[in-house]
Amino acid sequence: MSKEGRETAIGHLDADCFYVSAERVRDAFLNDKPVGVLGNQGACVIAKSYEMKGLGVKTGEPIWEAMVKCPEGIYIKRDFRWYEVLSRMMLDLMRDASRRVEYYSIDEFFFRAEVGRGETFEGLARSLRDRIQECVGVPVTVGIARSRTLAKLISDASKPHGARAVLDAAGEERLLADLPVTEITGIAGRRAERLSAWGITTCLHLARADRALVRRLLTASGEALWWEINGDPVQAINCRRPAHKTLSRGGSLGEATDDPTLLYAWLVRNVERLIEELRYHRVAAGRLKLVVLYKTGHSAVGQRTLALPSDRFDVLLDAARPCLRQAWARGATATHMHLIAEDLAPPGQAALAYFDPPDRRLRAEAVARVKERINGKVGRFAVRSAATLYLPAIYADAANAYDICDVRDKMCF
Amino acid sequence: MIGRHGLERRLHERGGEREVRFLYRDRRPRIPVWRDGRLQVVRWGNGRRQSRFLPATGWTWQATVEQGYWRNIGAVRVEIPATLGCDRGVWFRIRQGIRGILVPDERGIAVAYMVCVPSTHYYQVMTRSPRMPLLIDEHI
Ligand SMILES: [Mg+2]
Repeated sequence: MSKEGRETAIGHLDADCFYVSAERVRDAFLNDKPVGVLGNQGACVIAKSYEMKGLGVKTGEPIWEAMVKCPEGIYIKRDFRWYEVLSRMMLDLMRDASRRVEYYSIDEFFFRAEVGRGETFEGLARSLRDRIQECVGVPVTVGIARSRTLAKLISDASKPHGARAVLDAAGEERLLADLPVTEITGIAGRRAERLSAWGITTCLHLARADRALVRRLLTASGEALWWEINGDPVQAINCRRPAHKTLSRGGSLGEATDDPTLLYAWLVRNVERLIEELRYHRVAAGRLKLVVLYKTGHSAVGQRTLALPSDRFDVLLDAARPCLRQAWARGATATHMHLIAEDLAPPGQAALAYFDPPDRRLRAEAVARVKERINGKVGRFAVRSAATLYLPAIYADAANAYDICDVRDKMCF
Repeated sequence: MIGRHGLERRLHERGGEREVRFLYRDRRPRIPVWRDGRLQVVRWGNGRRQSRFLPATGWTWQATVEQGYWRNIGAVRVEIPATLGCDRGVWFRIRQGIRGILVPDERGIAVAYMVCVPSTHYYQVMTRSPRMPLLIDEHI
């Protein structure tokens, strides 16, 4: 592809053992030593260094099994708040380097790779890798190719600390011939078995297979992968997430409670978490629904339609309060709370002074911006509503800064 | 320091870096402490029963320290510098060190005890130990 003398391709950048690397950024003592990051309250290894991986420790493995394989391993408690801070720094650097960037997961990005005359994709891959290492301190691997699927295959095969571009047919063929077909995201288990019955076990087999057969075996999503590994990009870079029908935040209250002050504190926490999610997806809530589950097995719902869709703290909290009143059962012990935003709409269309006096709106928006910027820089919940002071234990432990499902696209531990 | 205290046999290497391991299960358990700005290596606990009146362990509850038990027998608070801890075979990172106390036995020999607290949920799951060392300015 050539436009104004520039060539474009698709890149994939993926941090190497991200959680471990993130710990090493703030603790050089861990460099070169076998390190495991523990999730699930300390029960299993959710990330391991290459030193630990070399001894056979697998992601998700219980710590008592990892200890046998790697008795010298050093175990660290996960800190998603810190990982998110570094993730945002990487995203900012990526956005400086490319006009189209997709935040694929906490440590993975797809991007449009562009080079001008005299530049090479290999050189671009190297400079991105080195720039992230230099500015964030995290080692990453970069792959550049004609399609997303190829770019990811290249970076997966070049780990750790690799930088590689493959854009010619011969290079692609060599790459694909060496890789089992299960290396492709989306091909595993039953789909892999179906292919293997036809002798398709490597990526190259799949690329050379008859397209109609692939479609029959793997449906249209499999055919898309066929196009992709043949260098035809059919999967775009999504700068934004697909539209959601609803967004929700909440979960277990930790310790069950019948205290309305604590329930209100949880409500405020969930409003703040929900706003993060709304802003991330660039939508506003038209309607709020609150579900409270009680120990008895009963649940109660409170709901409110907003005058105008909003992603603002004061407006959403005003709507959430009567929801809690509605869902609250005096004397009953609550165990879970979920806050759901419905009727999602693009934000910023809601400037009717009739509902929202301009001075109040401007002030609230300024506060929201400051809060977002500080939390983006210092870490989540650094600035938060004073109503959440009733939950000191939840906020005192930095590990709680993220309820696990706040980490987008990562397995839940 | 290594020669003076015969620490050679406690030397190990991990990831290319040398470390001195002070393990309670050692035949002569020793532990480093900071006392009056000086780093000393002292006897760790009384597991070998050299003293007839000190407790036959290597640790004490923080609550016991706070109740004044140790102060009454002449103990002082010390800091135990450490970069790693090892509990039931699990190595975990320590950023600064561990709280300890240093007490003379009946012959005037300094003996250190590690101060412990009930394990946090995380620590208990990680090590299966019901108690954990009291870390300096650190919560895990
Ligand atoms: Mg990664």
